[in-house]
Amino acid sequence: MNKDMKILIVDDFSTMRRIIKNLLRDLGFQNTQEADDGQTALPMLQNGSFDFLVTDWNMPGMQGIDLLKAVRADPKLASLPVLMVTAESKREQIIEAAQAGVNGYIVKPFTAQTLQEKINKIFERVAATA
Amino acid sequence: MDNLAKLQIARDLVTSLEAGDDGKADELVELMSRNREASLFMEVGRLTRELHEALKNFQLDGKIAGIAQHEIPDAKQRLNFVIQKTEEAANRTLNAVETLLPISEKLGDAAASFASDWSRFTRREMDMSEFKALSGRLTQFLEQIKTDSATLHSSLSEVLMAQDFQDLTGQVIRRVITMVTEVENNLVRLIRCAGAGAGRTDESGSALQAEGPEVKGTAGTGQRVNGQDEVDDLLSSLGF
Repeated sequence: MNKDMKILIVDDFSTMRRIIKNLLRDLGFQNTQEADDGQTALPMLQNGSFDFLVTDWNMPGMQGIDLLKAVRADPKLASLPVLMVTAESKREQIIEAAQAGVNGYIVKPFTAQTLQEKINKIFERVAATA
Repeated sequence: MDNLAKLQIARDLVTSLEAGDDGKADELVELMSRNREASLFMEVGRLTRELHEALKNFQLDGKIAGIAQHEIPDAKQRLNFVIQKTEEAANRTLNAVETLLPISEKLGDAAASFASDWSRFTRREMDMSEFKALSGRLTQFLEQIKTDSATLHSSLSEVLMAQDFQDLTGQVIRRVITMVTEVENNLVRLIRCAGAGAGRTDESGSALQAEGPEVKGTAGTGQRVNGQDEVDDLLSSLGF
């Protein structure tokens, strides 16, 4: 896991993007960008050589689950590690995200420690399957 | 009562008045007014039935019942959730502030006292034993700073995380807005169904009524001032 990796943070609430950005900075990840919707995020991902995607679910234009599916369907993006951070906590939703290929799922409200643990876990697995 | 009958009564009325028969005249006037009341009652009865039917049809629209039974109680729950979340966030933040303010004061005081001692040392006004004491205090201070730095970091992280209320309450409030919009639409339909005369809104309310902070775009009674300066100006213009 490279601390310089380029991370895209996607959430329609700017306060939440700011919180996640600061938490990542605290963990040593300074190379972050932001998008306020799945719709604006997808072109950024397609043009941007990002190494990690952190996204909310409930967004007005394109929901996080659809962004995830679009990422997995695009051959250039299919292996991008994706972490969902969302208030959506129904079993069916978590299952759908898992089946769509999400790498981690954090429910809000969450702690800094949880974020760190899940990120570590995601990249341990990525390294293991590399 | 048809026109012929009314005409007959009118003729009989004129006759009895001309003949000075007050009793008969009163009877006839009473007959006519009773007739008018009867048709008024019939008309009211008809309108009431129509309104009742309209309301019945309206209620059969399950949405109204659903809104009353589920969505409005839901909305109340959601808004209470917002109050609770924002209160928690405010308390978490205030706790962090109460932890950090004394630390920042101590830091300032310690820096001031060390500064004066250090300048005495650089001006060679300090003897060896004083310097040893200063050195001891400095070592202790540096240890304390390490601890205080950790407290600073964790308290600020607390404040950071406490702001997550805005996203969560924002999502909840959006849902309530959606529900309120639906109720608004249904009420407009109901008012139309029930007929005209609903143009008047009740705008009574004293300017002394408490309404909470100003929210742009909402109605309110009375005229607000703009900020503390205008409050002070108003009071001093009244002689305070």
